[in-house]
Amino acid sequence: MDETQLIARVRAGDSAAERALYDAHVDRVYRLAFRLAGDDALAQDFTQETFIRAFDRLGSFRGDAAFSTWLHTITTTVVLNGLRKVKRFRQREADIDDARDIGVAQRHAEPDLKARLKQAIDALPEGYRTVFVMHDVEGYTHEEIGVALGVETGTSKAQLSRARAKLRVALSDFAGEWIA
Amino acid sequence: MMDQHEDPKFEQWLKGAAKSYHSPLPTPREEMWKRIEDARRNSHVIELRPWMRWAVAAAAVLILGIGIGRWTANRRDVTTGESTPVASVPDSSSALIYQIAATQYLSRTESFLTSFRTDARGGTSAARFAGQARDLLSTTRLMLDSPAGKDQRLRSLLEDLELVLVQISQLDPGRDGHDTDLITQGMNQSNVLPKLRSAIPAGPVPVRTEGAL
Repeated sequence: MDETQLIARVRAGDSAAERALYDAHVDRVYRLAFRLAGDDALAQDFTQETFIRAFDRLGSFRGDAAFSTWLHTITTTVVLNGLRKVKRFRQREADIDDARDIGVAQRHAEPDLKARLKQAIDALPEGYRTVFVMHDVEGYTHEEIGVALGVETGTSKAQLSRARAKLRVALSDFAGEWIA
Repeated sequence: MMDQHEDPKFEQWLKGAAKSYHSPLPTPREEMWKRIEDARRNSHVIELRPWMRWAVAAAAVLILGIGIGRWTANRRDVTTGESTPVASVPDSSSALIYQIAATQYLSRTESFLTSFRTDARGGTSAARFAGQARDLLSTTRLMLDSPAGKDQRLRSLLEDLELVLVQISQLDPGRDGHDTDLITQGMNQSNVLPKLRSAIPAGPVPVRTEGAL
């Protein structure tokens, strides 16, 4: 059965078809959610919410684009909105901590390359990080990213280029790794 | 011509190195599917069309205006002893106000519980979470006693939330993370976060009046 038939059966209320559609796409949705969230519980939450919304709104899927493209649009919306909420909450916490820690000297150990790379990617602006993770880490095309994020393909390419430039500066201490 | 920012060696190295960034675990298919099914069975979302959102916003402003009018009229009555006829608030409109308040409360609670589940394991202060849970608990109990609590599905969700918030509000900062783990396990078993999320449709909070209410 092809995907169009599967979607038609889901619309008709076939629960086995729902499960088949979920099985066909869940890995990629969960992987993207995990890459962006960096936390299993959040990734599971975002994946669940993505499929709940997708099944509820399947009636609005017109089939102009591939189902996977439509689904990844929902995934990125759910993940980015969810992460913004968590970030706002954590920021409030951090503000309180900052107020408490005034005058307390902080020492950080020099992190290794893997940790520095993680820090550098985490520090990218949200748009740059999302495009970088989708393209360089998860292998999405600029066309897929453009549709998922609602931006032009050129914007996706430009953001990726800026993300890489920022990472190169942030990791300049480790230049020997790639020059070698 | 190569862009001045381009460095093929760096980009090749970066693609390989970045594979370790937030490296995913195996997909927990069955657990997630069970929660999706459960949340969909319990969902009670009423979709509002765009024009209805404007109607909701207009109704909210109207009710606020009537409320202010009643309040100022009552103040005049106290000072002058005269009675002033005042427009009454239609039941459907006042229910709508409770629904807006409920939606905002559910969004706050969702953010709180999501952060609790993620950060409490990381050793963030239990005392702070407990304080915030107490604040939300007060609102939960007010919601249960309000007209919003007459909706059976919302009431059931509020009661689940009350239970979780009571547990978090009683966290002892002096103890290890065992209590936190138990609360998190309970949240997972009762599926409270997926139920909460399915009760809050997408969109900015002021227009999320279509959720679960």
